[in-house]
Order: sequence, then structure tokens, then C-alpha cells
Amino acid sequence: MMPIGNLSRMVVANTLRSRRHFILSAFGIVIGIATFVLFLASTEQVAAVLEKIFPLDEVQVVAPRASFLGKDVSKKLDDAIVKTILARPDVLAALPRMNLSFPAFGRGDFEGNDLKFEVGGFADGIDASFVNDDPRTKELFKDWDSDATDKHRIACESAPVSADEVIQSPRAKPKNYTPPPPPPPDAGSASGSGAGSALPPKPPPPPEYFNPCPDPERYYCDDTDHTCHHRVPVVMSPTMIELYNGQFAKSHGLPIADADFVKFVTQRGGLNAMRFSIGLGLTTIAGTNTTIRHKPRRVEAVLVGISTKSMPIGMTMPIQYVQRWNREFLGEEAATAYSSIIVTLKDRNRLAPFGQWLQDDLDLRLEDSLGQKFATAIFVIRLVLVLISLVIIGISAINIAHNFFMQVTERRRELGLLRAVGATQTDVKLVVLGEAGLIGLIGGIMGVLIGVLLAKAVDYGSAHYLPRFPYKPTTWFHFSWWIWTGGLACAAGFAVLGGYLPARRASKMEPAQALTQN
Amino acid sequence: MAAQSPAPVVRLRDVTKSYGTGAAKTQVLRGVSFDIDKGELIALVGQSGSGKSTLLNIIGGLDQPDSGEVEVLGIDTLHASDARLAHLRNESMGFVFQAFNLLDHLNVLQNVTLPSSFAKHHRDVEAHGREALRKVGLSDFAHRRPGELSGGQKQRVAIARALFGSPTLLLCDEPTGNLDSETGKEVIDFFRELNAKDGVTLLIVTHERRVSSVAKRVIAMRDGMLVETTDEALAAGGGPA
Repeated sequence: MMPIGNLSRMVVANTLRSRRHFILSAFGIVIGIATFVLFLASTEQVAAVLEKIFPLDEVQVVAPRASFLGKDVSKKLDDAIVKTILARPDVLAALPRMNLSFPAFGRGDFEGNDLKFEVGGFADGIDASFVNDDPRTKELFKDWDSDATDKHRIACESAPVSADEVIQSPRAKPKNYTPPPPPPPDAGSASGSGAGSALPPKPPPPPEYFNPCPDPERYYCDDTDHTCHHRVPVVMSPTMIELYNGQFAKSHGLPIADADFVKFVTQRGGLNAMRFSIGLGLTTIAGTNTTIRHKPRRVEAVLVGISTKSMPIGMTMPIQYVQRWNREFLGEEAATAYSSIIVTLKDRNRLAPFGQWLQDDLDLRLEDSLGQKFATAIFVIRLVLVLISLVIIGISAINIAHNFFMQVTERRRELGLLRAVGATQTDVKLVVLGEAGLIGLIGGIMGVLIGVLLAKAVDYGSAHYLPRFPYKPTTWFHFSWWIWTGGLACAAGFAVLGGYLPARRASKMEPAQALTQN
Repeated sequence: MAAQSPAPVVRLRDVTKSYGTGAAKTQVLRGVSFDIDKGELIALVGQSGSGKSTLLNIIGGLDQPDSGEVEVLGIDTLHASDARLAHLRNESMGFVFQAFNLLDHLNVLQNVTLPSSFAKHHRDVEAHGREALRKVGLSDFAHRRPGELSGGQKQRVAIARALFGSPTLLLCDEPTGNLDSETGKEVIDFFRELNAKDGVTLLIVTHERRVSSVAKRVIAMRDGMLVETTDEALAAGGGPA
């Protein structure tokens, strides 16, 4: 066989000497590879967005819904069930979730807007260890009320409120606070004739109540036990933020929440800006039938972070808060009944048998996973798109074969000469295959570059012309390293495949006949 | 004790070759046998279709006979591997064709050094190429393209390429066929000098008498068979002078 260096030089010189031949051969490869990488990169990105919306590494176990005469009689998920699930060898972790099962009403000030929202039915609790998206959230998301060593738990004077009132979370006293001047005496109380007696003077408004607790950014004075408590830490899901940005903020003229929560909070004055009150036992919805055992009371909460572990629509807090409140307002039964159990399997491929066992042995089921259905759909779409790309590349390989057959015929005399000066049949085959492979490689590189440029154009169009919607990605493509290396490998491989038969014919040519070609 | 004569450079015994099949079968060579000794300048003459080019291609390993024995430089070319034959052509043979067979996309020096692309070991490629060009009087033409050369110059480049590897055997198929008489004479004189000074063994297929006139031996072919005598070959129409 001829030396590799000589072969490479000959291949490069032969490939680049005819622009027409190169364009004819490489065109199909360029188009095929551009579509190949574009399709793969877009499905990769869509899958990543889906994974954000529907995390697939955990599954949710629920009891099948059952009702009798309007009452929910579903099977109870309790600690015994959790223990049974944990005992399975294919289960890595099992964490229960508990819904807040009685009415609750939230109120907060956001950018000067008095926001009121329903919390009951839109709040649940989960073990704090499950929420570990980032260190900052992890540090704040815990059951502060069970920390007996908390030095900030001191006596305090709570706000003067009535039981049915959910006031805005009081602010801390500003450093250079000056009380407002008293209002002027009422003009109607001036002395006059007997007819048309003056109205009694209005009492002056009570002085503003300020949060008396130390570290008022995190602590508030509880109305019930007159003790400073750490605000209940809550997290919300990215879905909530997307809904806020996409629907709520626009219609209410509110600022868009930054995807970087820390940045967003810092810009608005820290955690203090994320505080709000929760009226336990109160509701914005008239006509609730839930019987609660305790009179309504107010607690304060603070949004500490965004987490994919939060319930999609609503808020999530450490489960101990929900357990205590359910016990307080509904009784022991409610405090031990979980709404679902989040299970992490050691091997995702064991999902089907695990689901079957749940059904057969425990009479439970996996929550309909939209995420898995979408993932399957994406997988099928990706497969179809890749097949289309491979068909395009395959056709381009046939095109290369056709072009190279023509080339071999046109270059018969040249190939015969190579044999006359000492090339073996293998050398001739390698030269032709090398030319095909190089055309494929260069075509592949051009295809990848065109694919990336097209992706940039699509992203530009999306950013400037597509309206905002929940989970709208900043880019519709993710070019993993394996996509472009796979594209290049396909390009070179299919090109060599296309060049194989012509190369074989070239090597089998009788030199004497080739040299006498006109 | 009598000294043994050196082995011939080429040894042919009963070589036959035909083309086509059935009724269209044409017998081109009918049991050709002869030897070529080292240092000989042999003219192979005959009418068109007499089989002389076919015989030259078989000797050069560019074609395979149907039967017979072909031994070139001690190698049985019928049974040697393709790699062995390629190596033989690269190291020990040179070819000069009627149609020059230069590659237009390479310059003159690159054409001359083309055999080095397939040599396992080759040092000073450019130096050897320039030396070959010097021998044919084209030292200043190294970077020109074949399209810029005359017919005679092209043929001299082809000769330089054939001489690049310092071959033992030079096979020429109608080397003056596409040249005018003046240029053709120059080429013939060059071959004669090459044979006389460097001892290169030459087999020249030709139908021109002037080539035959410089040959030490003239082998005539007629209907696929050999008639070997200088006078008889010339008398039988060795071609125009």
C-alpha cells in the first residue's frame, strides 16, 4: 500500500481540483447533514424543556380516586405505605407529599399591588431534603418552628387584627422613621348657630404597626402566641413563574420575573419583598363546606426560591407545617394522610414492573405522567426526523456513487497511468474512497455550519417575532457534541459507502485497456 | 569452466492472448517466445493489429496472457501478486506511451515524480525529479503545466517520468507516433544514447523504420506470431523511415 502521507496528498489534490465535481457530489451531503443536525438539535432542546416541565426521574404514586355519595373514600396513603414502597429493592427513595386540606387565603404586596389569592387547595408540603435545587433555597427551606434553639423566637407585640382579617404583612420600622403629623381639626366642628349641629370629630388613625421582631426580613410576630416566628418558607414551580410572566404580569402591568430568582429578588430588595400573609381557615371563595376545628388565624410566609419539586400550580412548603395545620384545623386523620408519594427508582427502566406491583399488591397507581407521554412523543418525532435526514443522506450517497462512476469513467486513462507507474489495485481503490470520504467530510462540516446558522436564524425569529408563552425557550436548539460529531461521521460514512462501488470498479480496471481509452 | 550468461531481462515462452468470446474471439498472440537480454535496444515492429502493443503490455504486467510463461527480471508475472507486479513496475520499469499520458492538473515536476507516490521509500524526490528533467533537457520547465508544452516537450516529460526511478527496463509504445519527424528523431537519438551510455534495456514498439534503424535487434510480428531477423523485419514493412 502506498504511504499514508502520499495517499492523503493525492486525495486532497484530486478532490479539490474540480470545483464542479465537488459541488455536484457534496451538495446532497450538505443538505442532508444540515437537516440531520438541525432535527436532532431541536428535538434535543424540546426534550430538555419537557424535562424541565415534567421531571422524569421521579414518579408520583397516588391512590385511585374513589367517592361515595360525594365523599372522597380513596385509599389512604400513610407512613405504612411509604415504608412498604421503600422496602422494595428497586426503590431509591420515597417521599410523601401532603396537601393543605382546608381553606386558606393569601395576601401580599407586590410592586405596590395588593394581591389576594387562594392558598387552600393550591399548597402542599414535602420533606425539606427533596427541595435541593440550589444551596440558597436548601438553606432556607426547612421547618423553622421545630428549631428549639432559634434565638429569634422571642415575645413580641402582634398587630391589632380581627380574626376574619388577613392584613398585609407588616413592614419593619424604617431607620429614619418620622411619624406623620396629626391631621388638622375637622372644619365641620367649628361653632355655629344651633341649626345644623357639627359631626363628631373623627378619631385620629392609629399609628402604623411595624414588625417588632429581630431580623424582620425573615421573622414576624405571630398574632396567636405573640412570639416571633420565622416566616414559612415556600417554593414555587417554574410553571408558576412562566404562567405569571406569560399571563398575569402582562395583563396587570407587573414586571416580568427573571428566570434567575436570586437576581429578581435582589433587585426588589431581598426576601423582604417576597413576604406575604396566609389566613389559615379563611378563603376568597364563598360557600365552603369544610368544617374546621380551630378559629382562623394568620401566619406569614416568604417565597424563598423556584423549584421543580414544587407543585406545578401552587406553592410547596416543608411538610411539617402542613401536618401541623391539618392536625390543628381538621384533626389527626388529615395530618397522617398523604396526597401522593414521590418515588425515585434506581433504574428508570424498572418503571413498568414497579407500576404493575403498585397496582397488584397495593391497589395504587402511578400518576398519569404527561411527561412520559410527551417524552415518548418526542422520541417518536425524533426518530421520524432522523429517518428523514438519513434518507436525504442516503440519496446523497447514491448521488455520490453516480458522480464517482462518471468520474471513474472519465479518469480511466489517469487511473491506468497510476497502475503503470506502480499503484496497486488497493492504492487505486483507496484514492477513490479517500476522495469520496473527503467530499463527505467537507460536505459534513459545511452541513453542520449551515445547520447552526439556520438555527441562529430560527432563534432570532423566535425571539423577535414569536409572542411570549410559558416555557418559551431562549433557543430552540441544543447542539450537543455528539450531534455534530455524529453528523460528520454520517457524512463521511455515507460518502464512502457511495464511493465504494466506483472505487472497486476503478481498481478492477485492466490498466492496458484504461490506457488506450480515447 | 564456462561462465554462465546472465539471465535475460525478459523471457517469454509460448505466450498466447485472445480477446472476445465465441464467434467474436480474436487471437492476438499465438505462442510468442523470445528473450531480451540486459542492455539490448529492441524494436518490435509490425502492422496495426499484429499484437505488438498487447505483447508490450503483457511484458509490463499491464495485461495478462491466456497461457504461456512470462518472466521479467526474474519474476513470474503470471503468478505474482498485484502488489509484487506494482512494485516491479515502480522500481524497475518505465513506460513511455504514444499519447504521453501526462496529468494536466499536475505540473511538469509533479508528473515526473509521480512514481514516488507509490514507492515505499524514496528520498530526495525533488532532486531526482530535477535530474530526470535535466537528462531530457527540460530543467527550466519544472513548474509549467502540460497544457503549456509542445508535443515533443510532453513526450520528453513522459520519458523523464519513465526514467525517474532509474529503471532497468524501458517499455515504449509508439513513442514517436504523435510527433513530427524532427522531434521524433530527437527522441530516437535520446533512446539510443540512453541505451549506449546508461545500458538501459529498451523495448520499443514502433512501425517506423528510423526506430528500427537504431535498434540492435528488430523483432517483427505478423498475425500474432514473431518473425525475428533484422533484415526480414525491415523487408516485411517495418514502417516508414
